[in-house]
Parts: sequence; C-alpha cells; structure tokens
Amino acid sequence: MQRIERPQTVEELKKAALEVRKNLLKLCSLQTIHIGGDLSVADVMTVLWQYQMNYDPQDPNWEKRDRFVLSKGHASAVTSFNQAAIGCFSAEDVWNEYATDEGRFSMHSCNLVNPYVEVSTGSLGHGFPVACGMAAGLRLKGNNTSRVYVVMGDGEQSEGSIWEAAMYAVQQKLGNLVAIVDFNGLEADGSLEEITALGDIAEKYRAFGWNVCEFDGHDIANIKGYFDNLPPVDSEQPTVFICHTIKGKGVDFMENQARWHAGKITEEQYAAAVVDLESKFAQEGAQG
Amino acid sequence: MIKIDFEKKTFLRDVLGGYMQELGRQDEKVVVVNADLMGTCRNRSFVASYPERSFNVGIAEQNMISFAAGLAHEGFKPYAFSMAPFISMRGLEQCRTDVAYAGLDVRLMATYAGVSGGISGATHWSLEDCGIMCSIPNMTVVETCDEVQAKKLLEKSLDYSGPIYIRSSVEPVIGIYDDSYDYEIGRADTIMAGDDGAFICAGVTVKYAVQAAKNIFQKHGKKIRVVDMHTIKPIDRQAIRTAAATGAVVAVHDHNVMGGLGTQVGQVLAEEGIGVRFANIGLKDHFEPMAHASYLYHKFSLDAEGLEQAMLGLLK
Ligand SMILES: Cc1ncc(C[n+]2csc(CCOP(=O)(O)OP(=O)(O)O)c2C)c(N)n1
Repeated sequence: MQRIERPQTVEELKKAALEVRKNLLKLCSLQTIHIGGDLSVADVMTVLWQYQMNYDPQDPNWEKRDRFVLSKGHASAVTSFNQAAIGCFSAEDVWNEYATDEGRFSMHSCNLVNPYVEVSTGSLGHGFPVACGMAAGLRLKGNNTSRVYVVMGDGEQSEGSIWEAAMYAVQQKLGNLVAIVDFNGLEADGSLEEITALGDIAEKYRAFGWNVCEFDGHDIANIKGYFDNLPPVDSEQPTVFICHTIKGKGVDFMENQARWHAGKITEEQYAAAVVDLESKFAQEGAQG
Repeated sequence: MIKIDFEKKTFLRDVLGGYMQELGRQDEKVVVVNADLMGTCRNRSFVASYPERSFNVGIAEQNMISFAAGLAHEGFKPYAFSMAPFISMRGLEQCRTDVAYAGLDVRLMATYAGVSGGISGATHWSLEDCGIMCSIPNMTVVETCDEVQAKKLLEKSLDYSGPIYIRSSVEPVIGIYDDSYDYEIGRADTIMAGDDGAFICAGVTVKYAVQAAKNIFQKHGKKIRVVDMHTIKPIDRQAIRTAAATGAVVAVHDHNVMGGLGTQVGQVLAEEGIGVRFANIGLKDHFEPMAHASYLYHKFSLDAEGLEQAMLGLLK
C-alpha cells in the first residue's frame, strides 16, 4: 500500500473528519453500528489518528509506535475508518467486511483478526487499566518516546475499575499516558444525569492527581492545540482530556438522542445526512 | 404439554423483560436492578409501571449485584438484569460472596447466553458462565428454551429459595410447550420420546435437537429422545439415567465444552458408573472471531445438521 499524506492543518483535519463521518454514515446505511458514540468522538479520533499518533500502517507492531486502546470498544467503526484513512486498509474493506462472519471489522474491536487492534475491547471498564499497564510497561522497557492513548466513554466512568486505574496511574507517575473521555452526556439507557450523574468530572480527575484539559471535543483547532501542547512523554503526571461532545454529532435527527446509541439508517436518511454534513461544512468554511 | 411450533419465533429477552411487569403487579416486593442495559434487557415496562421499585446503577455490574444483595437483605425480591458475561464474570465475586454465600434470593437475569451475541464478539459472549455459576455453592442454574417455559420459570422464581442464575439466548427460539405445561425447577422434560439415542439440551439448542431428532427419524427410522435439561444445577439425575439407557447420548450446549451442560451430564454418568456412547457438543475451548451465531452454531455442529451427524456417529 502506498504511503498516504496525512492532514497537517486545521483545515485539512476538518476535511478529514468530514470524510470519517461520511464513511460512518455509509456503513450505518449497511449495518447496525454504534453510530451515536462514533460520531461524538469522530473529531477527536481524527486528530488523534490522522495527525497526532506516531504510527506506521505498514507495521502495527513497530516498537516505537504510539499505542492506542479503545476502552469504549463499541466505537470500533470510527477507529477503523481513521485507520483506513492512514492506510492500514481501505474504507471499502470496512464497508465490505463489517459484521461478516470472521471479518476484520464488527461491533467491537477484535485483535484475533485485525492486527491494528492493540487490545480487544467491548466490555467497558477494561481498556483504561490495560492502557495503564502498557504505559508502565513502556517505561520499564526504557521506551521514553511512545505514548499510550486511551479513549473512554462517560457512561463507562461508572465502572469501578476506571477509578482504580485513575488512582494507580497517578501513583505510577504515568506521564506517557493520555486518557480521553468522550463526554457526550448519554449512555445506553438515557442521560447520565438520570442514571449516574458524573458531576464535575474534571474536578474528580484533578482530585485524583491528573493533569486535566477540558474542552469542546468538536473544535478541531482546539483539539489539535491540546495534542500539540501535551507535556513531555517522560513527564510524571498522566493527562486526561475531558472532551465535551454531542452524541450523534453532525446528523440532526441523531444529535443528543439516546435511541441513536446504535442503529441503522435508510438509504434516504443516508443521502440526506451527507447533504446536510456537506452544507454545514461549506457554511463553516465560509465563516472561516 | 408439548406443542412444537417451528413457525413460532420468540425472542426470550422480550418475554423475560416484558413479563417483569406482571411479576411486579403480583408481588410488591419485586424490584428490578439494571446496569444501563434496561433497553437491551427489555424491562422498560416494569420500570415505567413501578419506577420506585426500579434501579439503574449505570455501567457498574459489580455494584448492581451487590446492590441487589442489599435489597434482598431487606426482604425484597431483586431481579438483576444484564448480559451473561457481565453478570457471571464482571460481577462474579459479588454473585458468589454477597449473594450465594449469604444465601439470598437474588435472581440473576442473564441474556446473551453462549455465542448468541454473535457479531458483538467474545466480550459479549458467555462461553464460561454455566461452568462458573455451577461451581458456586447454593447457586441454581437454569436456562429456558421457549416463551411458555420462560413465563412459568419467572412465576416459580418469585418464591424460589436461594440465588438463581437465569440464562437465556438472544437468538430466536421456537414454540416447544403449551399452556398446560407443568414446569418444575430441577425436573427435566422429555420433549420427544425415543429409545434409540438421546439428545440432552437446553436453551437455544433445543430447537436444533428437535429438528435433528425429526430428521433422523425420517431418514433412518430411529427414534431419538430429546430431553430439555432446563435446570442445569441441580441436574436431574434420573433423566440422565433414562437417557443413557438408550445407549447413545449427545449433550449439546451453547457454551464452551468445558463446564457446560455436557460437562455436568458427563459428571453424572461417571458418578453413576454408566458406560454409554457419549458426545459433548459445544464451543471448542478457544476464542473465535466475531461472527453471526448461526454461523458459529454450524461451524461447531450445534445446529440440526451437526447434531444429526453427531448422533449418527454414535449410532454406527
Ligand atoms: C461491562 C459492560 N457493560 C455493559 C455494556 C453494554 N454497553 C455497550 S455501550 C454502553 C453504553 C456506553 O455509554 P458511554 O460509555 O457513555 O459511551 P458512548 O455514549 O460514548 O457510546 C453499554 C452499557 C458493555 N459493553 N460492557
């Protein structure tokens, strides 16, 4: 596979995020996917995978790579399309193989069939502590250049294992660890407010001793800025990004709707959603 | 009692979740605890009717089980709902120590049995839960195969003493029983009579065993008994002796071959000193990539075709 130029500027990243969303919606017209949580984290994932991460699509086992763990394992599709964008495989591969028997792509990320999946996930509350162990392992090996990135859901924060890991990451001084919370306010059964409200989650992580960055998870310039300004890999405090996002972001009828946690859309909905996404993108471009 | 209806298509989670509303009406001690899978477990009607007796702890299965134990300590009748792996594995020590050790009447409502979660993959499968749950002292383990049985099981669960793990598939099942069915926890039911061999099955595999027995009779004139071993623990030893008297037993379970129904049946055969041709059909003790359940049932010979072959292999 030929080497693909990665987006560098904010404008290019915005365009890349648009492509990711369009790819997701096409898949969603073919199969049931966790579309709500894919769309909410699409901007952060685009900047992370297509700009920030040091990763060789030809060699997923390259020792110097940055590690990625999808703790909210149901956001497998948005991960796959970002990996496709950097040349791990093609978007066609994802559309064709998703949810097929023993295919590389499905409802969750599975390392048995897809070498670009660092850790098989899907059961919430596992990825984060595994990522902490990887960060400690990198340190132990003397690898002081690779970071570990881990993406979590806000509903996922209800798992006790998240807070066990949050405590220990600080104890272990894992400055090479970057945790990302997709704070979209919804879980499967409804809003966090009605189920287990998180309160001031930034304050919680701060109290645990984390370096906390809290920002709009759809503002690409902002996201890029926070990645650009991460503390050095060999620093001693783990960083968490609290990304305020909208579940279903970009598709009007999905935004902030718990029922679009997972689902499938019709051909017509797909066509309309793409038109809508593109016109919003053009408008934003015009406004600068 | 038996009314096999291949045309009937039932989703057990709809039945088990939906019927909670009726249980709630019958008994005001009934409480439901969810862990952000109320929608998936289909108990929304209970929650809407009895909001004060409904709890949703969020994505926190350990908390769910211990919380349910707390409610049981105070005399309530908790039904805790989630997917089988998250109850039996994430919440395992809570099930064992807070529920079973305490001897509490907590009903553990576990959907997504076996590989029925299909394309969700191994994180959402439970290849292990039956083995795990059977190894916990005090724990009763049941699995249901049709709508009538599921409702009767829920009725019995209201006053059942001790913790009970209720395992169910998310794949569709067919009709097996009619309303006159007299369900007892602990007593296996013979769905088809026969003396040439016996299938011992539970849950979603019942429909495949019934189909296989019919095929074998049509093609070979052999009458195969089909035993619905809906209570996996405590297992019905007499039903196993009777099945073994046919000379050929195929046990089938949507579970790992280690620890599933076949293991439990095999243990009884060994303890009773019964020599019989025996096959244990299930998932073959390794992790599989994500795939549809029907594909996996075929691959591992759990479907009608596979069971037919397994039985014919023993009858040779
Ligand atoms: C341990 C565990 N319990 C339950 C589930 C089922 N489940 C999948 S996604 C989800 C909701 C996730 O909510 P959140 O973490 O907020 O993710 P997002 O809203 O971003 O999709 C649930 C309960 C699971 N995958 N793992």
